[in-house]
Amino acid sequence: MRAILEKYPRWIPIVAVILVFGLIRTPIEKSLRSQLIETHLLQPPPARTTLGALKQSSLMGMLGGLRSMVAVYLTLKAYEHFGVMEWDEVESTYDLITSLEPREEFHWVHRIWHRGINAVASVEVNDDLTPAERQRRFDLYSTQAIEIGEAALEQLPNSVKIREQMAEVYREKLRDYCGAAKMYGEMKDLPGAMQYSTRFYGYFLAKCPGNEQKAYDHLYGLYVETMSNLDRKGERGFVDHRAPTLIITLKELEEKLDIPISQRIPDPHPDEGLKRRNRPTGRLPGGVGIP
Amino acid sequence: MADSEPANQKPAGRTALISVGRIWTIAASTFTQLVRMKTFYFLLAFAVLLVAAGNLNILFSAVEQLSMIKKVSFGTMDLFAWLFAIVATALLIPRDLEDRTLYTILSKPVLRIEYLLGKLIGVLVVILLSLVTMFVIFSALLHIRTIDFLHTEVAILEQAGRSQEMIQAEAEAIIAQGLRKEMWVALWAIFLKSAVVASVTIFLSTIASSSLFTIIISTIIFLVGHASQMMIDFWKDQFVDNIVVKMLAGLFRIIVPDYQIFSFYEGIILGEKVLPHLVWSMTGMSLFYVGVFLLLGLLVFFDKEF
Repeated sequence: MRAILEKYPRWIPIVAVILVFGLIRTPIEKSLRSQLIETHLLQPPPARTTLGALKQSSLMGMLGGLRSMVAVYLTLKAYEHFGVMEWDEVESTYDLITSLEPREEFHWVHRIWHRGINAVASVEVNDDLTPAERQRRFDLYSTQAIEIGEAALEQLPNSVKIREQMAEVYREKLRDYCGAAKMYGEMKDLPGAMQYSTRFYGYFLAKCPGNEQKAYDHLYGLYVETMSNLDRKGERGFVDHRAPTLIITLKELEEKLDIPISQRIPDPHPDEGLKRRNRPTGRLPGGVGIP
Repeated sequence: MADSEPANQKPAGRTALISVGRIWTIAASTFTQLVRMKTFYFLLAFAVLLVAAGNLNILFSAVEQLSMIKKVSFGTMDLFAWLFAIVATALLIPRDLEDRTLYTILSKPVLRIEYLLGKLIGVLVVILLSLVTMFVIFSALLHIRTIDFLHTEVAILEQAGRSQEMIQAEAEAIIAQGLRKEMWVALWAIFLKSAVVASVTIFLSTIASSSLFTIIISTIIFLVGHASQMMIDFWKDQFVDNIVVKMLAGLFRIIVPDYQIFSFYEGIILGEKVLPHLVWSMTGMSLFYVGVFLLLGLLVFFDKEF
């Protein structure tokens, strides 16, 4: 080896080793990179627009491999903007955060919540705005929240929480019950979905014009399922779908759809049926009493 | 013939086989050298940062706060590991030259590769020990906070009269953010990255005449290595049909190490599933890097006169 090295200038074997090593490792690295991205262990490089929007320190942090740290820092910044109700800054900061960590569910949930609930609510009570401007911003923010939700579902197609947050925007702000029903309908079959999502699907479907029969069939199915499993009451896995809203909605649908009397569900027992379950204890978190 | 060497004895300073014992001796002395530089004081700063992050109760949910503790902890571990790998490795050879320890070592029957390997192992042992200590501190804090959040959140939900299903779901979400055995793999990923960074730095330090130069160049390579994929994608987007740009991008990929792929710990702390074959592949790739950069270092160092 010494003889070879003494024969040629030293940079030649060094460059040769670097090139040969590079040629060997490049395809391996390429395959490893795509496997790591496929398994979500590695995030693909962020879009150029994201890089352009990052401040110098955040950009350096990101280039230093500290993507998560930059996301944490930006989350705190977003919280700061939220504190002083700078809604556009909240949105632009969350846009960066979700670009950096597109697989973190709660970033998306907060982004939809800020845009679709907080910013919209703030506009609704802002007396400094003219009614026309208030309406314009209301429409803009709530529509943007839904678009954000759709982008979120592209990243996390099985997310229950994102759908739940989108349903809240549809339900509480847009009053779009068909949209809310669609969200609960998708949610109910996903792993980790709450039992109420299947009932909520029926309730909002009932309010979506033209879907009354579908809603009735669904809710009636839940009712029958509960009644046929009553002997299992108290056992693990038993779900009592006979919530007051379900009974009321079914009765309304029976009227609307003109269901024959013989096929209608019986009136609930006055002590059982419409009794509110899970009644709050009259205390707020932290032990604060409700007056 | 009193001044000549016996025929069956090798000349002083030359020895045929690599000795694990000699490598370990150099690694141990490097370890002591680095410990005397008060490296472990960093752990105190880490603990303070972690306690601060763990008590930053301004975020919305328990899940989010636990996630922040994890991100801050692993981000700090990563930062410490690569920064230490660059600075400590860049300092070692020049310091040995300055202290004249290098002359003493190389005048003994120690192979140059043994010296380089010993130095590298010494640095890596310090990094590994620091990472494990940081991980233990982090684990303790995360566990305490998880238990704390579980009790608080469940109590709040029960008090608010929420259904058992909802309480269960919240508890499961909190537990999912707690300690998982996969986090050791995340720690291993950080260590692998630091090993590659240290081996690149040791190669540069055999060429360079000053530590400052080595630190600057290694840091630049590190940053460029992290952004290499982004840069290549950008060039390819901008100059779609330009063959020269394509060739230059290819050459760039061949020369610059892709450090970004070693950041796969970020996915693990977000809760993604770890596939063992990928971890093994990344370990193999890191060993490949270390081996090649040690070889490059040796090419420069093996007959260097001091």
